[in-house]
Amino acid sequence: MHRRGVGAGAIAKKKLAEMSKQLETFKTHLEEFASKHKQEIRKNSQFRVQFQEMCATIGVDPLASGKGFWSEMLGVGDFYYELGVQIIEVCLALKHRNGGLITLDELHQRVLKGRGKFAQDVSQDDLVRAIKKLKAMGNGFGMIPVGGSYLVQSVPAELNMDHTVVLQLAEKKGYVTVMEIKDSLKWERERACHVLDHLLKEGLAWLDSQADGEPQYWLPALFSELSSRDVTPEEANQMTP
Amino acid sequence: MSFEWPWQYNFPPFFTLQPNVDTRQKQLAAWCSLVLSYCRHRKLYTLDVMEAQESPVFNNKKIARKLSMEAIQVVFEELRKKGNLEWMDKNKTRCLVMWRRPEEWGKLIYQWVSKNGMVNSVFTLYELSNGDDTENEEFHGLEEWMLLRSLQALQTEGKAEIITMDDGKGVKFF
Repeated sequence: MHRRGVGAGAIAKKKLAEMSKQLETFKTHLEEFASKHKQEIRKNSQFRVQFQEMCATIGVDPLASGKGFWSEMLGVGDFYYELGVQIIEVCLALKHRNGGLITLDELHQRVLKGRGKFAQDVSQDDLVRAIKKLKAMGNGFGMIPVGGSYLVQSVPAELNMDHTVVLQLAEKKGYVTVMEIKDSLKWERERACHVLDHLLKEGLAWLDSQADGEPQYWLPALFSELSSRDVTPEEANQMTP
Repeated sequence: MSFEWPWQYNFPPFFTLQPNVDTRQKQLAAWCSLVLSYCRHRKLYTLDVMEAQESPVFNNKKIARKLSMEAIQVVFEELRKKGNLEWMDKNKTRCLVMWRRPEEWGKLIYQWVSKNGMVNSVFTLYELSNGDDTENEEFHGLEEWMLLRSLQALQTEGKAEIITMDDGKGVKFF
């Protein structure tokens, strides 16, 4: 006769029940922890990083759903949602100048400025998370790694690997030439020109034909002098709706 | 007060006419703005195209970039279309720059006149533009052609009448 009840199946079931109970307990502790430290989460960016990492370890995404238990109880969702809105505002205000491309540094600077003296501390890690969220919501946002940081893209300009790598090359001086692309990336002239033409077309780059040697392609997003200049009323008037 | 250059002024490509249509539009709008504010700052009412090429507006020595003659003409044409520029000759070598339109000047002058209770008085053009009384006013130093146009604008509105006197023109305000 074949015996049932005690066998591989039963052991597995028991184990599962145990694990489930442990997970439940763990989840409760985490919730208690979160509730206790809700204030801290809002005010302290360092704390937020650690909290996020902890959640990630157990496979919980506090930002997964706006209406979720996590975001409601912690207000974590609200924090990043509001930050996302601020990021969109900054990018929209400057799109006219830089074509929708901005360095993470400049974005950080301007977001902090917009928050005023008594606002909560916002770190670059916070920005990155908020942008990832925006990206997931399909807002045309993206991040391009350049020179140790990121360029934040806020318009759905089609940028493929070729464009990205040229942007990275341009990051050092704020501009790039066909010759530099050929030398550094070992591309054919045609491929380099194709990419540069695309950047011009997307309004991300401007042409400088008075440079010594060959034409230079400059990116307003990488023009350091620009990052500290506010949008003037005239510029605001020129913005297309 | 020193002039504040816009960010584009130190951006080398600003001095190259942009091939991309949308970017060019932004560029020209910025140039128009710059030319008008510069003229306003320096109280320039006319520009000679040849001289303009060498002026700091179109020639940024610090970054070794200058706007080509062709590009300058494109900028001037934009200003003309917007009503801020008028050619003085057929060959387009000299132009009038109206960083403030005649109607706007007229309004300023009339405000000064009524604020000082001088409605119904008669002024010579010289008194208005160069008199001691108007020294602190923005329209002080206004060139005669512009002053006349401004007064003509007021005349159309029934606020003034231009009269011819023995040694020139004058105006009476109502």
